[in-house]
Amino acid sequence: MDGFLGRYRNLSVLVIVIMAQLVLLAVQVKNNQDVRLIRVWAVTAITPLARVLEGIRANTFGLAGEYWKLIEIRSQNGALKVDVDRLKLENQYLKEELATAKRIEAMAGFVQRNPNKTLGARIIGAGAGMNSKVVFIDRGSTAGVQKGMPVITPDGVVGKVTASYPTGSQVMLITDPTFACGVVSDKTRVHGTARGQGNNQLLVDYIQNEQSVEVGEVFFTSGDDRLFPKGLPVGPVRVSRQGKLFKEIFVAPAAFERGLEEVLVVLEGVHQQIPDASQMANVGPEAKALAPPPVDPKAASATGLPTGPSQKFPTDADRLMDRYKALGEQQGVSYGNGGKVPNFNAPVGPRAIPKTPVAPVGEQPVTVPPAAATPGTTAPTGPPPGVG
Amino acid sequence: MFFTTGRQQRDLYPDRMRLLRDESKFAQGKIAILQYFTVAVFLFVLGGYWNLQIRNEELYSLKAERNRIKALPMPAPRGKILDREKRVIVDNHSSFSVLLSRETLRDEHLKPIADGLELDYEELVARLKRFRARPKYQAVIIKEELTPSDIAYVESHRDPDTYPELELIHTERRVYPANGFAAHMIGYVGEVSETELNQPDFAKFQQGDLVGKTGIERQYNDILTGVDGQRQVLVDNKGNERRVLGMKPAVPGQSIELTVDLDVQAVMELAMDGRRGGAVAIDPRNGEVLAMTSKPGYDLMKLSSRERTKEWREIFANPDKPLLNRAIQAQLAPGSTFKPIVALAALEGGFITADTSFNCSGGLNFYGRYFHCHNKHGHGATSLKKALAQSCDVYFYNVGDKIGIDQISKYAELLGYGAKTGIDLPSEAEGLSPSSTWKIRTLRSKWYGGDTVNVAIGQGYLTATPIQLAVGIGGMVMGGIWHTPHILKNGDAPVKPARKADLNLDHVRLVMDGMCDVVNGWGTATNARLPGVEMCGKTGTAQTASNEYQKARNIRLKDNAWFVAFAPRVNPEIAVAVLFEEGDHGPLAGNIARDIVKAYFDKKTRRELSQSGVPAVTASVPSGLPATRTGTMN
Repeated sequence: MDGFLGRYRNLSVLVIVIMAQLVLLAVQVKNNQDVRLIRVWAVTAITPLARVLEGIRANTFGLAGEYWKLIEIRSQNGALKVDVDRLKLENQYLKEELATAKRIEAMAGFVQRNPNKTLGARIIGAGAGMNSKVVFIDRGSTAGVQKGMPVITPDGVVGKVTASYPTGSQVMLITDPTFACGVVSDKTRVHGTARGQGNNQLLVDYIQNEQSVEVGEVFFTSGDDRLFPKGLPVGPVRVSRQGKLFKEIFVAPAAFERGLEEVLVVLEGVHQQIPDASQMANVGPEAKALAPPPVDPKAASATGLPTGPSQKFPTDADRLMDRYKALGEQQGVSYGNGGKVPNFNAPVGPRAIPKTPVAPVGEQPVTVPPAAATPGTTAPTGPPPGVG
Repeated sequence: MFFTTGRQQRDLYPDRMRLLRDESKFAQGKIAILQYFTVAVFLFVLGGYWNLQIRNEELYSLKAERNRIKALPMPAPRGKILDREKRVIVDNHSSFSVLLSRETLRDEHLKPIADGLELDYEELVARLKRFRARPKYQAVIIKEELTPSDIAYVESHRDPDTYPELELIHTERRVYPANGFAAHMIGYVGEVSETELNQPDFAKFQQGDLVGKTGIERQYNDILTGVDGQRQVLVDNKGNERRVLGMKPAVPGQSIELTVDLDVQAVMELAMDGRRGGAVAIDPRNGEVLAMTSKPGYDLMKLSSRERTKEWREIFANPDKPLLNRAIQAQLAPGSTFKPIVALAALEGGFITADTSFNCSGGLNFYGRYFHCHNKHGHGATSLKKALAQSCDVYFYNVGDKIGIDQISKYAELLGYGAKTGIDLPSEAEGLSPSSTWKIRTLRSKWYGGDTVNVAIGQGYLTATPIQLAVGIGGMVMGGIWHTPHILKNGDAPVKPARKADLNLDHVRLVMDGMCDVVNGWGTATNARLPGVEMCGKTGTAQTASNEYQKARNIRLKDNAWFVAFAPRVNPEIAVAVLFEEGDHGPLAGNIARDIVKAYFDKKTRRELSQSGVPAVTASVPSGLPATRTGTMN
């Protein structure tokens, strides 16, 4: 068979092709369709491939398109970001301008109402934050700023000028560990010295443990330091507790509550009265500083402390003198003048013994309480034994 | 490739090359200047380095070390002064003082510092000058007892940018009783003076140290003074303390206990208040001083300061001489309080007896001069007892004239007149017990009989201090045993042996009887009578100028009032002398003595009650005598 086909290959192929064509024609006739079978076959064979190719093509071109779109979007996004940043900056600037305007308005109001002669200045040096202890301001000696001048805001004390240059000045902040100023409490009128601690608190030192200072009380400058005029707010008490030698009182500096931008240099200070705590109960910190200086006749009496000259540290001798004076008054005896003979063994009424007075507030020397009393050296202050 | 040589370039671009050459020259010049400048700076730095590290290395290391380590003094507290019951008379309290470091001091800072601390600038400068001889690292205390204002000032100005020479330290400040309570006896402290530094007593002290200046503070300065300590601290470049390197604690001075009884002292102070004079109360049995005062007094707190304040100057300039301790320094005629001594001298010499009587008609002529009795109507026939009780001058004129000045002087000196009593207080006065020898030696003049007559009633040349009167009478009523008066109860001070005299006790009793009648009989000081306590005494009214002097100037000077007393009559426990300057009448001084003695015995009653519950009986007022009676004036 192979030999025959091989020998008549061309004819065999022709016969097979004709036969195949006839079969296919018969099939097409039998199916009664108008479409040529070859076309069907071709389409059937080509369509999947074309679909795949089309899918590939479509996806490829879509991705590229998307990519280009993304590039465009990114570029648009960048532009928009720039716009947003610009707008943010503008917004910030406007906000700052508004805040500055408000601060300056408040400061202008403060300057107007405050009797101190002040000069406005802007902080130009870095570090107006809590941890920075020194700042620079844009006013110097040509503007009249001198070393030692107080620097304040309507909120409170900022610091003092430690160096003055022609166009700027260095200001030591109230939080600097070497900073100190005299302070007085608005409520109990106790005097102390506020000292910077290098952090965001001030320590009010040299207040006896026996003296009362409550959390929330506001300390003002006392004028004792001859640097800061009396009556400038320093800050409210955050912590008040018994200490080893003196009370431990920590105060939050009021001037830093709202940040520092503009400050006032006090060119000529004027002492003001410390506002009463009751007056300050419902007002903000700015009003505290701007409260008119009240006449303060009850400063000492409000604390319950007697006034007048006196023996600040009475000894047993003073107590005995008080007792014998009282005894003489009680019996109507004038010592050394004859007449009625005194009876020194008579009991003395407790009310008859005058309390040894103490010096007015602020005039008593600051004392360091002893660690422990020396035993056996203190005499009873009451009537002597056996007197009754 | 296309290359051109420099020559070709010059040929091709002559203008450009000229410009480049000029620029190159200019740059080279600039570079050279910069190089020279750099070398100069380098040399300058090198020179400075040489100076710092090699040439003056030791000096700068020392300075750096000194800047790094700060030595702060820790003044030692002085010892307390306590009364006989350990009650505090003088105390200490811790306060703050401000130091001025002379190492870092800038002269231009002195004025503002003085103004800020309310110090006298001139005084501050003078004070610093006084310290010139001391090493510069020794800081100077410029103000003590700082108030809150002062502390605020110091704290707010001692930063490195303002006055870094200021330093705050704790010091122990003396606390004295108020209103000059026992001021003269206690004394005050002050900075040691240049004069004192040259004295052996102050050899261990140095400029700036506090030492006792007067009174007990001075007398027992060595006991009361402690040893100062020191604190060494490491400081940073801003002067802030970083670490305590070492501490030599201060050693406090020793406290001392006095013989003084604060109860008696307090009453004495009140009784003498508003007067000028002095008073002293002693225990004649042992010489213990129970109380002592001098008026006008002064505030010890004002004097115990390093500063020469306005008050300090006022006290020193006061014409009433408040610094004078009149109890031991007022040398004045004792007036009639001297009569018991004259009586004793006459009795002991056998010139008179208890029954010796003289007639007093209000005055008598002696040596061509009429001598008045204080009672111009006269006392009539007067015995010794009556003469003492009523202080008859004529009686004692006669006695004095009879016994002579040397007999009077002998007994006056025996009782301690004309010599220091030896009380443990500085600057005691001697007074004067005149004698014929004294007058010849001192005044180069003969002693006249009229002088004796004057001395016999406690006038003339005779002067004495209140302490001499108290000690004299106290020793006499003890039968001739005079203990040295002393204020220190404890301590190592040796007790001086008592001085004794062989007195006839009958004579002593006679004099004591006369003195008891002064108060408890028909005497001159019945106003001083005390119920329950038999107090005896003698008034004295001493002229401060002669009648002739007053007449010549048409003035009337008030007399000094004196009173010397002891109680009780039997076994006396207390002797008191009171000087009331310009009190005019001796009995007025008696009122003061009465309250002092009453305070003593009331205290004794309290003590006995507390110990046993039953008060002891001391002595009673002689029966048949009225409770009170208006006394005649001496």
